[in-house]
Amino acid sequence: MKILVCIKQVPQKDAPLKLNESGTWIREDVSYEVNEPDAYALEEALRQKEKHGGEVVVITAGPVRAQQVLREALAKGADRAIHLEDDKFVQLDSTNTARAIAAAAAEENFDLIVTGLQSDDFGAAQTGVLLAEILGLPHATIIIGIEKTDSGLRLKRELEAGHYQFIDLPTPAVLTIQSGINKLRYASLIGIKQAKNKPLRKVAWAEVEPKLSKNLQQIERLYVPVKQKKTEMIEGPAAEVARKVTEYLKNTARVI
Amino acid sequence: MITFRKPIEGIERPQMEADVVIVGGGPAGMACALRLSQLIDEHNQNHPDSQLSKDNIYVLEKAREVGQHCLSGALLDPRSMRELLPGFESEAPIDAEVTKESVYFLSKDKARKFPIVPPPLRDHGNYVISINKFVKWLGQKVEDAGITVFTGFAGSELLFNDDSRDAEIARVAGVRTDDKGVDKLGQPKANFEPGYDLRAKITILAEGSRGNCAKQLIERLEMEDFYHAQTYGVGIKELWEIPAGRVAKGEVIYTLGYPLTTKEYGGAWIYGISDTQVSVGYVTGLDYEDPRTDPHHVFQDFKEHPLARRILEGGKMVRYGAKTLPYGGWLTMPRIYGNGWMILGDSASFLNSQRLKGIHLAIKSGMLAAETAFDALLSGDSSADTLSEYKASVDASWIRDELYPVRNFHQGFEHGLYDGLIKAGIQQVMRGGNLGPDYKNEPGYLRMRHVEALNPLGEGRTHFLGNAKGDGKLTFDRLTDVYHSGTRHEDDQPTHLVIKDLDICNSRCGKEFGNPCQYFCPAAVYEMVESSETASGKELHINFANCVHCKTCDIMDPYQIINWVPPEGGGGPNYDGM
Repeated sequence: MKILVCIKQVPQKDAPLKLNESGTWIREDVSYEVNEPDAYALEEALRQKEKHGGEVVVITAGPVRAQQVLREALAKGADRAIHLEDDKFVQLDSTNTARAIAAAAAEENFDLIVTGLQSDDFGAAQTGVLLAEILGLPHATIIIGIEKTDSGLRLKRELEAGHYQFIDLPTPAVLTIQSGINKLRYASLIGIKQAKNKPLRKVAWAEVEPKLSKNLQQIERLYVPVKQKKTEMIEGPAAEVARKVTEYLKNTARVI
Repeated sequence: MITFRKPIEGIERPQMEADVVIVGGGPAGMACALRLSQLIDEHNQNHPDSQLSKDNIYVLEKAREVGQHCLSGALLDPRSMRELLPGFESEAPIDAEVTKESVYFLSKDKARKFPIVPPPLRDHGNYVISINKFVKWLGQKVEDAGITVFTGFAGSELLFNDDSRDAEIARVAGVRTDDKGVDKLGQPKANFEPGYDLRAKITILAEGSRGNCAKQLIERLEMEDFYHAQTYGVGIKELWEIPAGRVAKGEVIYTLGYPLTTKEYGGAWIYGISDTQVSVGYVTGLDYEDPRTDPHHVFQDFKEHPLARRILEGGKMVRYGAKTLPYGGWLTMPRIYGNGWMILGDSASFLNSQRLKGIHLAIKSGMLAAETAFDALLSGDSSADTLSEYKASVDASWIRDELYPVRNFHQGFEHGLYDGLIKAGIQQVMRGGNLGPDYKNEPGYLRMRHVEALNPLGEGRTHFLGNAKGDGKLTFDRLTDVYHSGTRHEDDQPTHLVIKDLDICNSRCGKEFGNPCQYFCPAAVYEMVESSETASGKELHINFANCVHCKTCDIMDPYQIINWVPPEGGGGPNYDGM
C-alpha cells in the first residue's frame, strides 16, 4: 500500500497562548508539536506498511518550522516527506488547505490517505473529508481500526456512547484517525540518523496557488473569555430544589 | 511501593559507534559541537585527501527540543562567543545590552543602594539574553553544520571498559541512552524502545549543574577533593510582563540581604528584557542550616519586598523555572579529563560566582575541549595523555585568569554574609589571596542541622520556613509556579528520583531533619503523606511528574540517598523564553 499521512504542526497543548496584535490568531513565540491524532495516523500507516508492504509518505503545510514534524515522522519510519513550505499556508481555511494538499499529492496516486480526525488548534475536522471530496475518493471518519481485505478495507468507526460501526470501503480512500487507535512508537537513534538522508520534497506556494481560491472562512476576532462567577441560591424543600435544579440544567444551562 | 528507574537488565541493546558523543546540548555542549565542526571543516578544506567525517559526532539532549531545559538569568559576557562566532551579535537572539546596574542591600522594608557598584558586578558590555532562545539558535547552527543532535535522549549512564577506579587507568567507553516505554512498575510496554549503547571514542559530559553522568564518573573515580567539595545554589526564576516605565530595557538590579538572614548565602536579580518584560529570580545557597528553609518561599518573600513589589505589582507572571548552579569555582573543579572523557561547563564548575556568570566560561570550556577532541580524532588517540591537553589549555586560557583570582570568593561566605563581604574585599585587594591559605569547604548539606538543635523561634527566618501559600497575584504556591514551567512527563514510568533507602525518609529523617525534601524542592515533588504503613505515621510520596530537573534534591538531601537520574527522554520543563 502506498500511504499518504497528512500531519499538522500545532502549538503545544500546555503552551501559554498569547493573542497576536490584531487579535486574529496567537503569537508565534510558543512551542510546537505534532498534532496528536496525526501522530496516531502516522503510527497506523507505519503498521499497515509493516504488515502489507508499500510506502509511507508524510505531508505538511506550513512555515519552515513545520519541517520538524516531517523529520520526526521520517525518524519513526516514514519513507519520504513533502513540505508545502510557506508562512501563507498557516492562513488557509480548511478547504484551501485540502486543495493545496490535493494539488501536491494528486499525481502520486496513493492507495490510502490518512490524517488525524481534527487538529488540536482549530479543531474544525474538515481538511480530511474535504481532501477526499476534492480527490473524488470515498472517506470515513473517526477510525479506530483498519484491516485490509481482498476488496479494500474493513474499518471500525467510533460512534457516540460506546457504539461502534464496521464498514467496508474500497481503496483508494481517505480516513481520519482517532487518537488511541494504537500505541505510538518512539523514534530510535538510528531512525533519527537515517531520517537525515531521506528525501524531503519542498513545494512552493506558487506551485499550488492556481488551485486555491479565496478563503471562505476567516477568524474575525479571537479573545480570552472573561471568567465570571455567579452563584444563585435555590431554597426550599429538597424535592422542590431538585426539581428546580433539573429545570435549570435543562432549560437555562442546557447541559442535560 | 515505589519502583525506581534503572536501565532494564538482560536485554540486547542496540549499539552505535561514535567518534564523539557530547552529553547535554546546553551552551557548553553546543559550543563544543560547533567548534569541533569548524575545526573539521577547516581541516577538510586544507586536506582534500584525508577528509574527516562529522557523521559520527552526536549531541544528546534530554529535552524534547534544544534549549527547553536551559535556565539562567541570563546575562552573557560575549567574550567567548566573539571567539567562536565573530560578529555573532548581528544574528544571535539578544534582548538588550546592559545599560544600567545597581546593587541594593535589603532589610525587611528598606533597600539601601550600594554607593558604587562593586567591580565584579559591573555589567556594561554584557547582554541580557534568554538562554533558552540563545541555545536554540546555537543548536540550529550545530545542526546546520551537519552534526546530529538527538533531542529527547538522555545520557542515563556511562559505559566503562573496565572496573578500574583509578582515573589514570579507567576508560569511558561511551554512554547509554534512556530506556523508553517502561511502565511505572519497571516493565517494558508494548512500545518499549531500549536505550542505545553509544560506543564513543570520546565522551564529553556537558550536562550542566550536577550532571548525572558526571556524578557517576566523579564518584566512581573518586575525583571530588574532600577539602574542596562542590557547593551549589538553587536559582528560582520567574518571567514577568509588567507595565512599561518601571525597569529600563537592559537594566540590571542585584540585591543582598532580606529575605535571607546573614547566615544564608544568596541574593536576587532583576534584569530588564524589554520595557515590559523582566527576568526576576533569587539564588539561595544550598548550604543553609535550617532544614525547613524553602528556597521557593525565599523568592516569594523577596517579591513582597517594596523594591520588587513596585516593579512587579499589577504585572503578570508568565513562566517559572528553577535550576541549581555550582558555586565552588576553581578550587572545586574536579579532574576534567581522562581516558576517553572530558567534562565541560557547569558539570565541571566553570562558573564565576563572584560575577554570577558562567555561560561564557561554559562556552569557552566547550571550545577548548573541542580543540582537544579534534586533535585526538586526528591522531586516533583519545587516551588521558592526549586529552590532558584540554586541562593544559584551560590553564593557559583566560578561564584561569578569570577564575583563579576569585577562587576563595564563595568559600569566604561560609561564616555568614558580613564575614564574607569583608573577605571578598580583602580578596579584591589581594588579587584572590586570603590572609592565609586557600579556604576549604565541605559539601553544603553537611551544614544542615537537626531540627531540635535549632532555635524554635527561627532566628529571624520564620517568614521563609515551610512552603509559601502565595496570593495568586504577586506570590504563588509551588504548584501554581510549576504549572507555569510547562513541565510534562510520561506518567506511566518508574520514578526517576531514585532513593536508596526509603526507611530513612519515613523514620529517621522525619525525626532528625523534618523531611527537608518537602521544602527544598521548588517543584513540590516530595510530599509526606499520612500512612498506616510506617511507624512514624508518615510516608514519602514522590510526584516525579512535577520535576523541573534542577537537581536540588540530589545535592541538598542530608543523607545523600537521593540520586537524580534522567526520566524518559523528552520529559521535563519547557523553558520557552527563559
